[in-house]
Amino acid sequence: MKNPYYPIDTVVEDVITETPTIKTFVLKPVRPIQFKAGQFMQLTVPGVGEAPFTPSSDPSITERMEITILKTGKVTDALHELGPGAKVGLRGPFGKGYPLDKLVGKDVLVVGGGVGLAPMRALLYGLFADPSKYKKIVIKFGAREPAELSFRRQFDEWRALADNISLQTTIDVPHPDWTGHVGLVTTVLETEHLEGIDIVDSYALSCGPEIMLKFVTLKLLEIGYKPPQIYLSMNRKMSCGMGKCGRCNVGHYYLCVDGPDMCYDKIKHVPNVFG
Amino acid sequence: MQFIDSTNFERLLKKLSGEGELFVPVTEEDTGKLHIERVEAFPLPEGMSVEGFRTVETLKGFAQLLRSTVAEYPSEELDELEIGENIPSYIVVCARACDVAAMELVDKVQVEGEFEDPFYRIRREKMFLIAADCTDCGDSCFCNLVGRNPWPEKGYDLAISKVDAGYLVETGSERGEKLVSENADLFTVPRDGQEKTRDDARMKVVAKLKENNKDFPDATKMTEPLREALTDGLWNDESAKCVECGACTNICPTCYCFLLYDTVEGDKFRRVMSWDSCQVTGYARMAGMGNPRPRLGDRVKHRFYHKYDYLPISHGEIFCTGCGRCIDTCSAGIDMRAVFKNVMSKAAK
Ligand code: SF4
Ligand code: FES
Repeated sequence: MKNPYYPIDTVVEDVITETPTIKTFVLKPVRPIQFKAGQFMQLTVPGVGEAPFTPSSDPSITERMEITILKTGKVTDALHELGPGAKVGLRGPFGKGYPLDKLVGKDVLVVGGGVGLAPMRALLYGLFADPSKYKKIVIKFGAREPAELSFRRQFDEWRALADNISLQTTIDVPHPDWTGHVGLVTTVLETEHLEGIDIVDSYALSCGPEIMLKFVTLKLLEIGYKPPQIYLSMNRKMSCGMGKCGRCNVGHYYLCVDGPDMCYDKIKHVPNVFG
Repeated sequence: MQFIDSTNFERLLKKLSGEGELFVPVTEEDTGKLHIERVEAFPLPEGMSVEGFRTVETLKGFAQLLRSTVAEYPSEELDELEIGENIPSYIVVCARACDVAAMELVDKVQVEGEFEDPFYRIRREKMFLIAADCTDCGDSCFCNLVGRNPWPEKGYDLAISKVDAGYLVETGSERGEKLVSENADLFTVPRDGQEKTRDDARMKVVAKLKENNKDFPDATKMTEPLREALTDGLWNDESAKCVECGACTNICPTCYCFLLYDTVEGDKFRRVMSWDSCQVTGYARMAGMGNPRPRLGDRVKHRFYHKYDYLPISHGEIFCTGCGRCIDTCSAGIDMRAVFKNVMSKAAK
């Protein structure tokens, strides 16, 4: 019998500093773990506890997994102290993952903010496996300042992958080292920035802090997206990951089972949906 | 159906007690309330009572311990689990209908579906349930309002109904049937009229339940009115007196929410599962982020919606069996039935 609460022994192979507060951990579990883009793992820091993270790495690679983590609480503070060779644990994957099938043949708008870029990278790897399956792939990444834009080193490489891929970045406030767009990520969702997306035949997916999700959702609705076309990576406290401990509900859904990406249409009536 | 007289029933329990830990309801002298007690030696405790209604305690602690270790890591065996031998068998006598039904509801969450909790499943399988009819009901009992009867209909191994100087016995599982057939000498064929005696007694309890709850609405029809009251101010009024103790969720037989936390034991680590309550502030608060239910009113409300709206959607049934323990235990005097009444009167406006 398998114990679903046991964290599979895992070694930290490498730590990449993405921004002053965000690090990517390259993890090697004792046995390969298969996951779909958007599914999440419970990562254990021994003796400290678990926290949920969506891998930021390519789902087709199962021996290693990358998880990109913002320093934000007990478990993540402890994680940020860890270096190569450290032992951690993994449970999962849990949740449904991104609705990749639905996106085939559509324009895809990907909106990430802050550390929310991390799960979106797994989605992008999923999309990039065959970009020709989609019409346009329009990516908008925002951060407070340039140093907080994770994965900058990869942006040009992604842009070059296929003609239907575009990636625009923005930072919230002007910065001496920045020549790109300035403004909240919602400002690059104005029609003139959307590369001629056909909104009625498009899906928008977003991940980021709750407050950003809220304003992105409002903006998407304003520019013509309907609730069924919007997918949001929701955040709730998680413990079991299996729909049993009861804490991650959004309305009658359990994010750990039905999410963490939820179609906005299903949850729009929930009070405090954005926390 | 079989009949067993009281003396033979005690013999049967004695036999069963050789196979596991035996628990029976015992009357507390001062209050007259029934508590679950372990029988360590025979004869059966003097205050044991088959009559009456549910015990003060629920039965959920048999299947889901208040606190238990669910993993020790790292381990050579990784996630291969050997459990079973060290979990005792429990024989629980006089499980009432509301408690048996509650366990069946929680089974849906912990055992059915994509994942199962092996600890819960094994503990649950090790319970031998002798259910019993309620021969009375408490002031807070409202099983009739959730569409249930005060006698067990399924989910038990044996069910007993007090008649004459013994009990009518029904079997509800293979284990129950085996027990009866292996001890056939203890049972007799029921006499004419005993079944009617049982049914009359049942109807009396139903009549009392109906009388006690005549001012309150049918709780099986609450889902829609609750949805309409989702953002109503009444929740702040209802929660005004709540002291956030979590007693209502701890004492509820269908509240199953838990928390996992890790501790250090020398050079090993232990993962502990512990009961938790959605009524306390920190329950759903996230690291470095918001709390989806920051106000007390949100949390008090959540208990109602989880049981009467969310779980019926995800698991097909109302997760309340009308045992009324939350009413007895709440120091703020929050009475689920009265809350429903308020919700209904708002809905009527
Ligand atoms: S028992 Fe009463 S006071 Fe305590 S948390 Fe529940 S509703 Fe609030
Ligand atoms: S994390 Fe336990 S129910 Fe979702």
